[in-house]
Amino acid sequence: MIKAENLSFSYTGSPPYVLDGINLEIRDGEYVSVVGENGSGKSTLMRLILKFIKPTRGTIELKAKRIGYVPQKNDFSNSNFPITVYEALNSYRKISRIKDKSVIAKNLEQVGMSKFAGALMGTLSGGQSQKILIARALMGNPDLLILDEPSTGVDVGSQKEIYSFLKKINDESSITIISVEHNLDAAISNSTLIYHLTGGSGHLCSPQQYADEFLKNKGR
Amino acid sequence: MLHYVFMQNAIFVSVFISILCPCIGIFLVLRRYSMIGDTLSHASLAGIALGLLANQNPILGAFIFTSICGALIEFLRSYFKKYTDLILTIVLALGVGTAITIISSGKLHANADSFMFGSILTVTQFDMIMVVILSAISVLTLIFLYHQMVYIAYDEEAAKVAGVKVRTINYVFSVLVASAISVSIRIVGVLVLSSMIALPVATALQLGKGFKLTLIFSIIFSVIDIMLGLFISYYLNVAPGGFTALVSVAVLVVVLLIKKLKSSIHTTYRT
Repeated sequence: MIKAENLSFSYTGSPPYVLDGINLEIRDGEYVSVVGENGSGKSTLMRLILKFIKPTRGTIELKAKRIGYVPQKNDFSNSNFPITVYEALNSYRKISRIKDKSVIAKNLEQVGMSKFAGALMGTLSGGQSQKILIARALMGNPDLLILDEPSTGVDVGSQKEIYSFLKKINDESSITIISVEHNLDAAISNSTLIYHLTGGSGHLCSPQQYADEFLKNKGR
Repeated sequence: MLHYVFMQNAIFVSVFISILCPCIGIFLVLRRYSMIGDTLSHASLAGIALGLLANQNPILGAFIFTSICGALIEFLRSYFKKYTDLILTIVLALGVGTAITIISSGKLHANADSFMFGSILTVTQFDMIMVVILSAISVLTLIFLYHQMVYIAYDEEAAKVAGVKVRTINYVFSVLVASAISVSIRIVGVLVLSSMIALPVATALQLGKGFKLTLIFSIIFSVIDIMLGLFISYYLNVAPGGFTALVSVAVLVVVLLIKKLKSSIHTTYRT
């Protein structure tokens, strides 16, 4: 689904690179958590996959018919915007050219937020708004779901609900999930693979390998 | 008062202004671009001056020049990513510089003052035709692009992921802003025109409703502001532009006071 070759990115167009010579291949149906320290280039990698920015060097190929995207809550601080949950979903349905109107009620029910259709987005808690953004991202049955730190600003109870829901849709509908994570427990228990970014480059490993590596480093 | 043809023309044009300005204003305010409205309304003075200089309709001149300035702002945005206010200063310098140079040259065969302060006496038949055409095209474009524009304002990245051509729509939007400004110049005047774009929306936002209802209330407040401004300025014999701006501020203050009163009553009742 995604193939990056010698992918490098720098905001200035010259060294130092935020990402330097990344080689990464993600197959259909995987649940990949991207982990790393702050500033390691996790969100930059997401932005490159989503084509918000262009690589400075190298290539990135993406084969997805429809992409669902859940932005990081800190970036998405438009909480004073006067829009109801229904309006936010309905306008997204329209711009995504999805004709079936019932998808709104269906997706809200899927994330347990049906009774909030008339609420203003700005009045929702962190967990509630994250569920709405997931419901929005799942419109039109995307084959790739990209999430940027889905548990940021979300209470523990909602975090559990969100992660078990993500695991369920990955298992049941084989949707490919790429999630930038700072929640390492969730990354280890949910993912099929972990991409560990450090110093501008990264490596793909199994959750078990990552857990061992992490515990070993922590023990030092 | 209503039997005067100039007053009938002024009311006719005001109806279009009160619908178009908040429709454009809501997107400008929510994208935190209110100052673009101010910059373009000042830049429109250059279009008026150029129109008068070329013996063409000044509203047409304002529309063309303001559209070019709007597109220029959009174009410069990629060069000054972190300094959007600087772009506005550049365009303002270009617009006002051109206007002052032409007006002070003494080559104009008409008075540009009425365009600065607004005037109900100067609305011509051709102006009315221009206002109807520009308003109709703008409202139809807004209806057609409504959901895309809502999303660009609300969550631009999600709009991009959904396949919205953000850059193209931003250029179209610049033309719509130019259209709203050109339509309003005769009555409201250049100097306070941005208040008609931003203030009814600012008032409607206080009601805490969803997008559609906020838009509807913006139009209602806009109609109240412009009509009250028009009628009272007629009786006081002052320029309608300035007085409409004062009415807009007064309506906003009244709504804020009512909101404050309601919340204090609610708090007292609960305790």
